[in-house]
Amino acid sequence: MSKQANSPTDLKPLPAEHPVPEESLESYELAFGQQMNTWAEILEENHERLHAGRFSLHWMETDKANWGRRAKPSSRGMTYTDTNRVKGYGDMPEQATALNFAPRGAVRDPYVDRMPVISAYDVVDRNEVWAENVITLYEEAKARQWNATRDIPWDELEPLPEDLEKATCQLCTFLTEVEFVAGDFPAKWLHRIPQDFLEVKSFLSTQIMDEARHQEVFRKRAVAGGGLLHASPGFEWALKAIMESPSHTMGTFLLNLLGEGLVLSIFRSGEMIAKTHVDKEIFRRCLQDEARHVSYGVMELKNHLDNMPDRDAALEDMHRFADVGEMVILTAFTEAALVEPLAILLGGGIDRIEQGLEQAGGLWTNFIEEYLGRCQRAGFDRSERCGIPTQAPWLQ
Amino acid sequence: MADAQQQDSAAAGTANAIEFPSLAWFERLAAMMNDNRARQEKLGYVDCVAGFSVTGTETLTVQVTFDEFEATDVRVTGETDSDRADFTLEAELETWQAMIESIRDGDGRPALDQTLNRLSHTGTPLRLAFDDPLRRDMYFRFNQSLQEFFNASASFETSFPAS
Repeated sequence: MSKQANSPTDLKPLPAEHPVPEESLESYELAFGQQMNTWAEILEENHERLHAGRFSLHWMETDKANWGRRAKPSSRGMTYTDTNRVKGYGDMPEQATALNFAPRGAVRDPYVDRMPVISAYDVVDRNEVWAENVITLYEEAKARQWNATRDIPWDELEPLPEDLEKATCQLCTFLTEVEFVAGDFPAKWLHRIPQDFLEVKSFLSTQIMDEARHQEVFRKRAVAGGGLLHASPGFEWALKAIMESPSHTMGTFLLNLLGEGLVLSIFRSGEMIAKTHVDKEIFRRCLQDEARHVSYGVMELKNHLDNMPDRDAALEDMHRFADVGEMVILTAFTEAALVEPLAILLGGGIDRIEQGLEQAGGLWTNFIEEYLGRCQRAGFDRSERCGIPTQAPWLQ
Repeated sequence: MADAQQQDSAAAGTANAIEFPSLAWFERLAAMMNDNRARQEKLGYVDCVAGFSVTGTETLTVQVTFDEFEATDVRVTGETDSDRADFTLEAELETWQAMIESIRDGDGRPALDQTLNRLSHTGTPLRLAFDDPLRRDMYFRFNQSLQEFFNASASFETSFPAS
């Protein structure tokens, strides 16, 4: 038992709210000290110019700039597509070499030697991030945002019979647990993608916002209906498999195409079996967001495979990854904490859980068909190699 | 007297009813969507060509082109131009009728078991037909807007062929 303080002098100071990481601070000082020649020279020049009362005005020179070609808005406003039509702004490199914050289309070449390199920017290949539908999806995402606080008719929420309420709250607990990986995964990669792929970075930002809202709405629904119930180890292993994917494309496949494809099916099932208009609205809103993420996953994989110099080798790598990924995802989607509440909701009560399980089997088969169809669309035929059975394990 | 007035009113209502299925019925929905731009702007862009097919003895398929916040084109189509649609929802007249009547009875909100997703999720009674899974996914991406497109039918009277 720890000794209690008897007087003010015995009291120990509270830990600092944000303790300074000494090692990190030292290495920061060291790094900028070593690079001082470059930035201190710039600082010195700036001082001299300002003290001398001189103006540079070099930034007004347009010889090397994409100046004067004005973007025109389309019917729906000024989109990235509209600005990318202007010469000099839409040219996306196959490999990004500007590993700093200088915007694509700005005059940046004359300054390269004096610019820092952001070492975090290491996803430099376009075919690791690009998808031909990414601008469309970004515009769509912005236009179709909704508010989990205001757009759901929360005041209409009515208590359900205990078995159905618990099943709904458990389903919401599952969804709260899994939703943020779909925010954390793009966030983990977002800061590694250089500015030249700004459209991808923009879309990933919307995905992070979408997932924050999903986590929020399911947490609120559970707490409003009785409370959060059980987390599950099987879910966690699936989420870890996504987070620790070895490449952006592989992780995007596992998260957006497989994982979110499956969650999209769960959302559609959630809408189908919803016992209140509140739940209907929640699931319908969420499924729209999820479908955008799935569409990015399909086309990102397609672009990746279409542009790899050795397509066969790329396909084999993807198959090796999917062999593992599918099985880990299967771990989550056979958990009692997911399958059983779903079966209770489908059946209409705990006394009809068997019938519900049978219905869930039909949805399972539909989902696998959709998953394989999306893989096919991306040019990634998993039909002969898919590790997830086409028939639900409980029906085999 | 009151009964007679009610009968007159009902007769007048029936006279103004738009028959389902028909091109005019979908055109009315499109016009209502276009008149309510503020709501569409709240829901967000809808960019797809959706097919709605009423099967039975005489199949009628209507394609609605959604662009941004509007329904810009409504047309009856045949099998030859079915691939113009990103997806098509197909069902017997009875299914469509039950859904539309439920929307009417709910004053613009269908019963829990009569939403588009509820009816189509298992493939029956509403079938989601498509050629391309990517284009099919637009049905999910714009689901709320499509639901509200149909929900607007509560504001006018619909008549159905006698069974």
